[in-house]
Amino acid sequence: MTDTVTLAAHPEDAASARKTGFFRALLSSPTGIIGLAIVGLLLIVALAAPLLAPHDPLRMAAGPRLQPPSWQHWMGTDDFGRDVLSRIIYGAQLTLQIGAIAVGISLTSGLFLGLVAGYASGWAEKVLMRLVDVLFSFTEIVIALACLAIFGVGLTNAMIAIGIASIPFYARVTHSVVLVEKNKPYFEAAVAAGAGHGRLIFRHLLPNVVPTLIVVGTLGVSTAVLAAAGLSFLGLGAQPPQPEWGFMLSSSRDLISRAPWMMIFPGLAIAFTVLGFNLLGDGVREALDPRQRQR
Amino acid sequence: MARFIAQRLLAALVTIWIATIAVTLLIHLVPGDPVRIMYGSFQTTPEQLEEIRQRLGLDQPIWKQYLYYLGRLAQGDLGRSIVGDQPVADILLTRFPATLALTLTSLVIAVVVGMSLGFLAAYKRGTWVDAGAMVLAVIGVSMPHFWLGLLLLFLFALQLGWLPVAGGDWKSLILPALTLGLANAAVLARMTRSAMIDIFDQDFVRTARAKGLPRAVVLYRHALRSGLVPIVSMLGLQFAYLMGGAIVVENVFAWNGVGRLAIQAVFARDYPLIQGFILFFATVVALASVIVDVAYAFLDPRIRYS
Amino acid sequence: MMDRDTLLDVRDMTVAFGKGRNRNVAVRGLSYTLKKGETLAIVGESGSGKSVSSMALLGLLPPNSASIEGGTATFHGRDLLSLPEKDQRSLRGDRITMIFQEPMTSLTPVLRIGIQLTEALIEHKNMTKAEAEARAREMLVLVGLDRPEHRMRQFPHELSGGMRQRIMIAMAMAADPEILIADEPTTALDVTVQAQILDLMRTLKREFGTSIILITHDMGVVAEMADRVVVMNRGEKVEEGPVAEIFAAPRQEYTKRLLASVPRLGTMAGTSAPRTVVAEPRQVGEVLVRAEGLNKTFAERSWLFAPAKPGTVAMKDVGFDLRAGETLALVGESGSGKSTTGRAVLRLMEVDTGRIEIKGTNVRGLGVAGLRRARRQMQMIFQDPFASLNPRISAGGLVAEPMVIHRLASGRELEDRVEELFLRVGLERDHIRRYPHEFSGGQRQRLCIARALGVGPELIVADEPTSALDVSVQAQVLDLMLELQQSLGLAYLFISHDMAVVEQMAHRVAVMRKGQIVEIGARQAVLNDPQHPYTRALLAAVPVPDPGRVRGALPTLDLATLPTGPLAEVAPGHMVAQ
Repeated sequence: MTDTVTLAAHPEDAASARKTGFFRALLSSPTGIIGLAIVGLLLIVALAAPLLAPHDPLRMAAGPRLQPPSWQHWMGTDDFGRDVLSRIIYGAQLTLQIGAIAVGISLTSGLFLGLVAGYASGWAEKVLMRLVDVLFSFTEIVIALACLAIFGVGLTNAMIAIGIASIPFYARVTHSVVLVEKNKPYFEAAVAAGAGHGRLIFRHLLPNVVPTLIVVGTLGVSTAVLAAAGLSFLGLGAQPPQPEWGFMLSSSRDLISRAPWMMIFPGLAIAFTVLGFNLLGDGVREALDPRQRQR
Repeated sequence: MARFIAQRLLAALVTIWIATIAVTLLIHLVPGDPVRIMYGSFQTTPEQLEEIRQRLGLDQPIWKQYLYYLGRLAQGDLGRSIVGDQPVADILLTRFPATLALTLTSLVIAVVVGMSLGFLAAYKRGTWVDAGAMVLAVIGVSMPHFWLGLLLLFLFALQLGWLPVAGGDWKSLILPALTLGLANAAVLARMTRSAMIDIFDQDFVRTARAKGLPRAVVLYRHALRSGLVPIVSMLGLQFAYLMGGAIVVENVFAWNGVGRLAIQAVFARDYPLIQGFILFFATVVALASVIVDVAYAFLDPRIRYS
Repeated sequence: MMDRDTLLDVRDMTVAFGKGRNRNVAVRGLSYTLKKGETLAIVGESGSGKSVSSMALLGLLPPNSASIEGGTATFHGRDLLSLPEKDQRSLRGDRITMIFQEPMTSLTPVLRIGIQLTEALIEHKNMTKAEAEARAREMLVLVGLDRPEHRMRQFPHELSGGMRQRIMIAMAMAADPEILIADEPTTALDVTVQAQILDLMRTLKREFGTSIILITHDMGVVAEMADRVVVMNRGEKVEEGPVAEIFAAPRQEYTKRLLASVPRLGTMAGTSAPRTVVAEPRQVGEVLVRAEGLNKTFAERSWLFAPAKPGTVAMKDVGFDLRAGETLALVGESGSGKSTTGRAVLRLMEVDTGRIEIKGTNVRGLGVAGLRRARRQMQMIFQDPFASLNPRISAGGLVAEPMVIHRLASGRELEDRVEELFLRVGLERDHIRRYPHEFSGGQRQRLCIARALGVGPELIVADEPTSALDVSVQAQVLDLMLELQQSLGLAYLFISHDMAVVEQMAHRVAVMRKGQIVEIGARQAVLNDPQHPYTRALLAAVPVPDPGRVRGALPTLDLATLPTGPLAEVAPGHMVAQ
């Protein structure tokens, strides 16, 4: 027999072999490692904020106003004399919360819509996806603005608005993956075997759709964080005195020549976070799809 | 080809039509009384509020309101702004040229910088040029627009003094256009790279190489011309993103376009203006995507000659 | 050893992919010579390194992943493998040219045929545009394309696969090369088109005196085309020799096995039933499936601005009977509607009109629950065993699934049944917990068969079950299918484009063309005594793996007089379209 079998590391449990393979692949790419490190660091900072922050982020006049970075205040103080470093540390909590809530909303709804549309096919699919496409072309920021015009401004509303605004994107991604999977012979093989709707959706389609959505969701945290920072910068999201990074940037705008540190550090924090999730997302994608690795 | 364009135009009309429904519904989704929210800050009596409600048609059933809205729309009437008490259409049209200038300039920057970077990276796949370009791109993708704007503002306007902080002439366009353009160049570079890598792996590129053609001919005549097809198809979406990004960037640089207007309208809860803005935005984006689709069709003989 | 007739002398060529721990040798120490004017076939199964070794000659290996680690290839005193890129380029497309397997994707879609035909001539021969175009038109006529002027202005998507391959050949021969490397040039084509292309290559070779390196997996093509043969397996040369010798007296075990597993059309001409592989085979029984008047048209999507087009006819008045324990083969070329028919029988696709009965039950009339029950009796095996298994379910889970769906077993009993099925199809117990990607192609097809067997079906629709497999693996899978049929009394609806395979498997054959059955009857009658011109053309086009047999001129199909009317009986059970 010319057949050859590629043996997994532990043939007795191929499933676990596959999983360790994924983490090994993730950790073997620089992208994955850096992304994982940044996201890990962010989680630690957010959880241990009370221990790490040298000052109360909200206490005014923790030091003199508009003081440049010093040993006392590593990142200087703002126009109310608050410690910028402490505000940034506490800001990590808000940022991760934004990412989780916004992506949670858009991912679950988008997954549901995309799956229903892709599975249903025919008339329902056409109408649903046409609508999704149209909403998608409005762009996320305009939908978010519309939502904020409805709900009113505020950080929680901004998170929800961003979550809603991204639903079309997730629905499109899910739909396209479902279409690809549905056209693979294994799906027809399951139909031919007599599988019902539940089995087709949950046992065949969903497990093959989820990996892509994990990638997209990770990358989506970046988008959500950027969008929330943008809305807060415009004054539509976080309200004083919340230590939100985008909002900190907006208060720095008029003081930019007097106190550039107020502009530099929150911006770095946002870029660093977004970079972390972007790299992690790319790393996960490479780890899930070996073909991508050669690219 | 004519059929293709007709199809795209029809799709654009559907988009605009759905936008009209969305903006009509918008005001009804507002929790509480929109009229009270809009005029709450003015000194108004209940009678005045009732009169406003009637004037806006909000006492009518929703389908009547929609038809009424469509009727006015057909005459180019988008309603009156509450804050400025001017026709919404007039305000938008006065402000739009500024946004269009910003968006198109940044589109040029994004296309030139992003596509050449992406093409170079794909061509030099696996080398330090590729790695360098992609590190640059991922950093670009991760930078918030407005922060990049603030950094450029700080550097070129405040520290070096080369360019104005704000204003209305072409010089003051440079910084916002650069901000928006570079941020999107990063996205475009990544997309171009992966599209070109797909092309380089195609059989027909191998055929061209097997003919012993010079590298440059393989690259430009065979690979790039084919690669342009998927890349151009992404530009419609890029334009939409640029329009969206302009909303934020206009606020950083106090650039008086429709984006800045939109934010002020959300703050003031100026619903007629918000509705007008969304509809206007959807229309512009839909028309832009028709233009991109036609360009795309022109590049792809499979569509051009069908 | 280099005599004057030797054009190309390859010595100890070694090519590897990847580096370090991931290093994977694709070609190891390969040596052969190519003489002037001869056709050398390099044959081997997938992964034998036959394509890689030829790409290396032209410097066409993917630059980042593959590397030539050693060896020489002498051509006119120069070593092709160590030539600088510039010199290599001047040979490529001029002295040495190449045609590829996939005509559909091998031409640049955005460029007109004219540009693609002339650019190499302008580059290498210093021709003017007009000279090159004149030469290109001449070549188009030579490869048998009409209206050369018009072809030059067309884009690739406007041409069929066979026409595109003719263009590729015109492109490769225009420069009058000394060596033509043809990498599986007909594998993606239908058998009648393949015969035409092979004919064309032979004619051109005679006319131009070109030496050909023909890379193929198909022993029939080898027998028909080659003067000498190099057999490769896993990156190494197994043996080399004149074509007659290789076929008549192979020296190596691998070559013997390879030749033994090649199905040969005509070997079963003397018997009416397939080969018996069990002691007491079950006999053909009662009618199990009856299909009548099946019609299906895939509608062209009509749009607001375009008049609705007639659409593609996938099935036109298709009807047949299939008995228990019997194999009915549906044969035909791509687009003949044979797969559509198979899927329609299982109601994986709805037909427009017609009646499908399984054991007297009208399948088309069944509701959701009834259809599900009916699917216990009918299972399917697909062409691509790589794609027809869900990658995220374990092999055991996949085999168990149909039994779970139909609530046939659970718990311990289910596990026992799964294990039994694994052993039944020649897999092992510890394969159960693995995932599909850990299996080879042949093993995956065994998994698919095990999966189908679990519910105890009476009918299996097998859609090209072995066409994605190497011949040696194909033989094993076909044997397994025969054995299962004869011991379990299964009925097969066997869909295939390969006449030789059909001859081995079928009791009865239905030949399809453009959605219609043009001839149906006992296998012996249809294959030995074909009545319909299309059946004859199809059979005549099959390359025969016997270098001693010279095939005559191909019959030309006159489409104007081709009978496409209703079937009429010409002999008992033998029906032909009139």
